[in-house]
Amino acid sequence: MINIALPKGRLGEKVYSLLSRVGFNCKEFTPDSRKLIFKDDKGEVNYFWVKPSDVSVYVELGAADVGVAGKDIIDEYTPDIYELADLDMGKCTMCIAARADFNDDVSAPLRVATKFVHTAEKYYAEMGRDIEIIKLNGSIELAPVLGISDVIVDIVETGTTLKENNLKVIGKISDISARFITNKAAFKFKNKEITAITEKLKEAVKVYD
Amino acid sequence: MMKCAKREEAIVDELSKLYKNRGFKRYKPGCFEEYSLYQDNKDFLIGKNVISFSDLSGKLMAMRPDVTLSLVRHIDVESGAAEKFYYNEKVYRQATGSKNYKEISQLGVEVVGTIDLAVVAELTVLICQTLATINENYVLDISHMGYTEGLLSEFGTDKQLVAEYLKSKNLHDFNKLADGRNYSKEIKDAFYTAVSVNENPELTLQKAEKAALNDSMKSAVAELKELYAIIKRFGYADRVNIDFSACGNADYYNGVIFNGYLKGVPHSVLTGGRYDRLLTKLGKTGGAIGFALYLGEIERYFARDDESVDYLIIYDDIKQIEALNLANEKNRQLKTVRLSRCVPEGLVYKNLVDLTDGEASK
Repeated sequence: MINIALPKGRLGEKVYSLLSRVGFNCKEFTPDSRKLIFKDDKGEVNYFWVKPSDVSVYVELGAADVGVAGKDIIDEYTPDIYELADLDMGKCTMCIAARADFNDDVSAPLRVATKFVHTAEKYYAEMGRDIEIIKLNGSIELAPVLGISDVIVDIVETGTTLKENNLKVIGKISDISARFITNKAAFKFKNKEITAITEKLKEAVKVYD
Repeated sequence: MMKCAKREEAIVDELSKLYKNRGFKRYKPGCFEEYSLYQDNKDFLIGKNVISFSDLSGKLMAMRPDVTLSLVRHIDVESGAAEKFYYNEKVYRQATGSKNYKEISQLGVEVVGTIDLAVVAELTVLICQTLATINENYVLDISHMGYTEGLLSEFGTDKQLVAEYLKSKNLHDFNKLADGRNYSKEIKDAFYTAVSVNENPELTLQKAEKAALNDSMKSAVAELKELYAIIKRFGYADRVNIDFSACGNADYYNGVIFNGYLKGVPHSVLTGGRYDRLLTKLGKTGGAIGFALYLGEIERYFARDDESVDYLIIYDDIKQIEALNLANEKNRQLKTVRLSRCVPEGLVYKNLVDLTDGEASK
């Protein structure tokens, strides 16, 4: 039996539909159900629905053997896991954005508002730029507009929110996409099953996506 | 989730006996060390923080977060000889996933001095036996710093990034990097070989030998081949994997690397390896190899102490002496007794003797 942690929302549902096509279908699953755990019809896998940013926690602690997590979450929390596949979906970019009239004043620390504290710290440490972090949990775009930060570090999908708030992208940190990850110990003890699911999922991404 | 039928103390006793049988001496370090020992070797430690304090002369001291550093600092070995130790101690560091310091039980084995194939093989077998003592269903991953460092040295300024990809077996991001950098087929193949694990370690080693790019990788494979042949001869082959995705810090480690896993525990419970470079760093000559078992981090998997008693005796002000007499009598009959004024919550007992007039408060 393999436990799979899926991120609640569009991405998780898409991954589930791929898995269901390659042999791990659940009759009892309906997208609007509030149930958090589902068993597939053949009793080979268990699906859990968890908050997207928690997937890596469930996998690292072994509650789930495998899971689907955004690269942004993996980079931010650096869980001790194996990354088995790039699912090539849920694509976006980790960007730095600022007000359209922003000019970097290097004589003072840069004020950075973000949800991704570790990612931002690492990026600016490599550049040797002194920063102050303002940790926010949502509506990051407000911070430079209201003047509490100079820039933001956040994921950008289409850039519409930025544009509507008069912000522009001034730098790119990394490309983000959904990754199939596994607990290291589970990969030792359930290697055959996990490798089989990984291969089937990779194939499904190529064929159906 | 794994449940071990044995109690932690029973495990420790069994393991101590195992090490003593091979002539390992018990090492008992002091609890404090100079802070600078840990400050200078931060990257050798699991957590970066240590509990520090000033001693009476004003010198900055620390509670030991690790035993290996103490051992290497205080033990001097004549050249050509080797000293063998085991320890069962508390260390003080951040527990994995916790934001606070914790006292953690750690059990380990170290050999300092001249390290030859026999020493490495003896230790590898001891690791298998150590893991099997807790749970027969274990896996030991063996890697080699000579192979991983040799591989990573081919990547120049991308070394750190490729090391991340290696540790997480991340082929897709490596391929993206490789496309941008135009790596040769040989270099790419060497990386693929290092991240993939074959069910048959002999096959893994054959492929690794073919893929080796430099002398460091070649001699690492040669050493592992010899080691694996011995492990196989002693009957531990089916529990051992060769997996080059595990690598340690090259400032300290230089040879074989061990990672032990128990079924049902979601992280490695035992780590170790060859660490000659730590000795060099501390100004000593010779080699060293060892492993540590993180007992503290698996304690919830062990059987709980049996806290039940044969007799629970309830007494009141008038019956105190009578209760003591009765308890002594039961002890003489080799029964366990608990004296109490009321029935303690959660206590399991076989017989209840109520010396009060049935007024015992429940």
